[in-house]
Amino acid sequence: MPPRSKGNGVAAFLGLGTRADDAEYESDERGGVMNASRRPDEWVRTTCGYCAVGCGMLVGVRDNKAVSVMGDPDHPVNRGRLCPKGLSEHHTLGADGRLTAPAIRSADGNQERATWGEAVDSVVGGFRGILREHGPDSVAVLSTGQLVTEEFYALGKLARLGFGLRHYDGNTTLCMSSAVSGYKASFGSDGPPGAYEDLETADCIMLVGANIADNHPLLAPRVMANDEATLIVVDPRVTKTATVADIHLAVRPRTDITLLNGMLKLLIDEDLVDHDYVAAHTEGFAELAAHVASYDLDRVAAECGVDGGAIRRATLAFGRAERAFIGWTMGVNHSVQGTQTVTLLNTLCLVTGNIGRAGAAPFSITGQCNAMGTREAGGTASLPGYRAWDSPADRAELGELWGIDPERLPAGRGRAYPDIIDGVLDGTIKGLWIIATNPPVSFPNRGRLERALANLDLLVVQDGFETPTTALADVVLPAAIWGEKDGTYTNAERRVSRVRRAVDPPGEALADFDIFLAMADALGVRDEIYPGWKEPEDAFAEWSRVSAGRLCDYSGITWERIDAAGGVQWPCPTGTEELGGSPRLYTDGVFPTPSGRARLLCVTAEPFSDAPNERFPFMLNTGRTVEHWHTRTKTGRVEILERLAPEGWVEINPADATRLGVHPGARVRMRSRRGLVEGVAVRVTATVREGEVFMPFHYDELCVNRLTIDEFDPVSREPNYKQSAVHIEAM
Amino acid sequence: MTLVSEAVTPEPGSSEAGTSQPVAFTPTRRRPVHGVTERGPDLLPLQAGEQYRFSFAMDACVGCHSCEVACAEQNDTPVDQAWRRVGELEGGEFPDTRRFSLSMACNHCVDPTCLSGCPSNAYEKLGNGIVAHHPDDCIGCQYCIWNCPYEVPVFNPIKKIVSKCDMCRPRIEEGQSPACVLACPTHAIGVEKVDVAAWRADHESADAPGLPPADITLSTTRISLPPDVPADTRPANEHRVRPEDPHWPLVVLTLLTQLSLGTVATTVVLEMTGATTAVSQGHGDGGLAGPAVGAFLAGFVALAASLLHLGRPSRALKALRNLRTSWLSREVALFSAFSVLSFGYAASLAASSWNGGALTSVLGVVAVLVGVAGVYASARLYLVPARPVWNSRRTPAAFFATAVSTGPLVALLCLDRTRVRPSAVAMLIVVAALGTIAQLGVQARLLAVVRSRQDHQHQGTAQLLDGELHGSFRGRIAVSVVGLCLLASAATVPLGGAAAGGRLATALVVIVLGELAGRYLFYVSVVPYRMADGFFGSR
Repeated sequence: MPPRSKGNGVAAFLGLGTRADDAEYESDERGGVMNASRRPDEWVRTTCGYCAVGCGMLVGVRDNKAVSVMGDPDHPVNRGRLCPKGLSEHHTLGADGRLTAPAIRSADGNQERATWGEAVDSVVGGFRGILREHGPDSVAVLSTGQLVTEEFYALGKLARLGFGLRHYDGNTTLCMSSAVSGYKASFGSDGPPGAYEDLETADCIMLVGANIADNHPLLAPRVMANDEATLIVVDPRVTKTATVADIHLAVRPRTDITLLNGMLKLLIDEDLVDHDYVAAHTEGFAELAAHVASYDLDRVAAECGVDGGAIRRATLAFGRAERAFIGWTMGVNHSVQGTQTVTLLNTLCLVTGNIGRAGAAPFSITGQCNAMGTREAGGTASLPGYRAWDSPADRAELGELWGIDPERLPAGRGRAYPDIIDGVLDGTIKGLWIIATNPPVSFPNRGRLERALANLDLLVVQDGFETPTTALADVVLPAAIWGEKDGTYTNAERRVSRVRRAVDPPGEALADFDIFLAMADALGVRDEIYPGWKEPEDAFAEWSRVSAGRLCDYSGITWERIDAAGGVQWPCPTGTEELGGSPRLYTDGVFPTPSGRARLLCVTAEPFSDAPNERFPFMLNTGRTVEHWHTRTKTGRVEILERLAPEGWVEINPADATRLGVHPGARVRMRSRRGLVEGVAVRVTATVREGEVFMPFHYDELCVNRLTIDEFDPVSREPNYKQSAVHIEAM
Repeated sequence: MTLVSEAVTPEPGSSEAGTSQPVAFTPTRRRPVHGVTERGPDLLPLQAGEQYRFSFAMDACVGCHSCEVACAEQNDTPVDQAWRRVGELEGGEFPDTRRFSLSMACNHCVDPTCLSGCPSNAYEKLGNGIVAHHPDDCIGCQYCIWNCPYEVPVFNPIKKIVSKCDMCRPRIEEGQSPACVLACPTHAIGVEKVDVAAWRADHESADAPGLPPADITLSTTRISLPPDVPADTRPANEHRVRPEDPHWPLVVLTLLTQLSLGTVATTVVLEMTGATTAVSQGHGDGGLAGPAVGAFLAGFVALAASLLHLGRPSRALKALRNLRTSWLSREVALFSAFSVLSFGYAASLAASSWNGGALTSVLGVVAVLVGVAGVYASARLYLVPARPVWNSRRTPAAFFATAVSTGPLVALLCLDRTRVRPSAVAMLIVVAALGTIAQLGVQARLLAVVRSRQDHQHQGTAQLLDGELHGSFRGRIAVSVVGLCLLASAATVPLGGAAAGGRLATALVVIVLGELAGRYLFYVSVVPYRMADGFFGSR
């Protein structure tokens, strides 16, 4: 944006001497005629750093400044187009609020500038001291889905082998862990089986709790381009996505389980089951059929609050489809029954034989740009390469690959994110290293989380920007962000794409990769855990070797191949001929379970623990909006995105608004059993049901997570963000 | 620049089929977007009688706002001066609620009112249909913003001129699609050509919920609506009724020109009816020159104040360029002439002893006629369809009522009332009172009309006058009523005396204050037509 310099004196008053009137445009070979202020000297090919769609883009660079972006016309994911966050992503580079030097909290309580040497020593020395005194359970790491795979792989080794930690998890547990657990429960392994191109060839697409128009905008064109498919959207709200659906099933919150059971019963009753597939590749069908027998249409329609005819139409469209595709995101995952709901979606595809072929898949649309990278290579919920913590064989294999004693690898995954917070609160965990995530805004029940973070002996925060989390840190480590470092991201369809350094990090900020190397140096383990590593590509080479033979096999992928293909989908074992890798999994119907068969699991909906009552009469649903990313640490610094969505709001049905005596734009006070948020702008809209309200979660200032319940899926440990009882009053 | 291949669906009868490659994501779900070309409109050369235009498939837009960001990047527009905006619309009841997004930039109208109203000819309708704005000719008067029913032009407070979408003319001229078209992931925005005569005959698809009627300017953007748009579909920003800018220089301009006209007219009437008595020659008290000089000074201050309204006062003379179609040009010309004439009239009166001669009278009558025309032009420039509450006979009525309610009082206070026939003084007080009563009538009528009309613009003004501006509006009425009382009290004492003078002066001050408040409210309480916007608005 142009500087807002004020003119001065008489000349400006007369309107003279202000800036030149004519905007200047210049021609660029790639971008065509562009605003002169945006025309770069060179274009750097990279991948967007926001969501997991993984759009290819070109960053325009001039004088070490990112001046523009454009969609990569050759990238198979987005074919030249970008969403508004991507189109303005260069503004995040060079934005205000960057961390440019390490800082250490001094005795008087202020964060004071430090050298990298001092900062690394204080982290290594501090954590070592705590570990020595309190044992291996006393320090934990919370990372992210925002680093490059090479960094995740390096961090996993550093945490487990360098520091010897048991507890390491990431904010991916706040978004995709139910998908991971659900895939593991049904198929025996994580790994989304489908590809985006399936959206174009499916003849029935069912999106469950997935508002792709807002949250994965570049998937919307794929769906909209598919003229033949019946589009079913299951969502309690009339989302932007629901408005383009052929059938929108506006189910009451968490009655998705009932709906899916009802659909299964109807499929069985109508004999739309693929008996051959079920017999050959699944187990548990008889139990499933018995379990869903009581879910007749009238009951399901009544419980879901949806017209039975619509459920029937949707089910028949799904069952009769040659190729049916299910996509889901947070509406499913953000639930205490997230894992179970995911297995039901898998089951729906399995019983109709909709997996392992073009246009047919149960597909988790991942959230973060590289959540997949940490799932596969990071060593949080599983060991790198989807190896199981509790499998001695997997540990032994990895130990051999790494040249270490497998006994050094924990025999369990350790605490997941919410359990780390519990440990911090009860004093078990005294040292915490938070990397590129912002829990005060993103974690449920903020009041409790803040009490926890105040309870630490050493809080280390590594991030690109000043955030509410860095403000609490004892040691701040300034990191390079997207656009300032090299590596790879893996997107939701398992496509590995390159991320490139377009500009230098500001001040003394370092790539996370280099920070991990420095830590390993200080720990004296660099040669052991990072043998011969200098660049992220060295980590990639080792990781691809370590992944060989696993479901997520990267062994045939090199950075060169990624460049040649514009992105490669795993599995891509050495020798894979198709340049772009494998579009889908389970094409042979063999699953990585002991029996080789996929499991059909029975699920029953449980009642809410925080159901609305007289004191808290509204059901609060939370989510995202197209203009912002996560906790706005980046998008909040992009002027145009901020203008489009400058503050938090709550969506209230017109009937409720009348009852509350609030009009559009009024301010309300919202209270739950856990906290209070005041001054939320009211948007009166019939896109939410009476008795239900919706609030975006992006805002620190009007933080919906002061209200949300801190209740978690027992398997995936994913929070239940989507249903909390609240009280609302006009201010 | 070839970025994404798109299918060309040729216009019926055109011969450009198959000039571009087939598609990655073909256009949209069941609703193909016609005429979207890959390389831009150069693939569709214009025939006689055709122009380029935007198309917008509301049924294909998912409200991602990419077009807005792409536009801002391409044109380096500050965030509060977006050329393209995405409105949010909603109608129906849960769960059958419908929501739509309406992306709009300039509609490159067939009858662009920005252009016809522009006093400095800064706008040009190009041969290809693009309504282009020439910044070097812009004086920053912002009249185009009032004139455009979509409020497309935006004022840049740093450059002090307006700017607007030119359909990415620099790209179009190179055969490249506009930035918004290229950025739209669902191909909802396109550029195509239109037969102007056919469009004039049938332009139903220029209309959409939340938009003003397209025939005001004959907007060319073709909007394809989804089926069964609910009748109650409304923009999400409709609740954001905010007072507009008061335009203080214009408050001063209109008020003082009207006061000046009223004063000159009163002077001319006094002179021509012989209602005054001359005393000894050569006494040099100026006689009727007093009010004429006062009138001239008021008019002069008004013109000076109007310069402050311009972003670029140094270019003020350019305001005279468009006498042919712009009421603003005419206003400037007429008020300038009025100023010269009223100066001449005042000088002529001052040069003579008391009443001037026949030449003076002629000068006075001409000044009044030009002044009346000026105030008419001044009022006329607010009669724009884009601002329905202004676009009423109330506006000229209010303007002339101001002249009538203030002019006689100014004249009376600028001369020696003992030399005016008492009946004439009384008559002037009555006229001034009638002017204020008329003004109050206009205001009462305004309130009744805006309360009773159901459209958003009238309702919005009613909402402001009954809400946020309630106190100001009530105060404005009260002040005028007090003015009337003061006039009545002046009439109870000898009209030539000092007491009457004091009361008249107080009455004048109070009445002028009432008119000042009224004029302020005139500017701030209008609710313009504009394109739909988001919940938070865009400015």
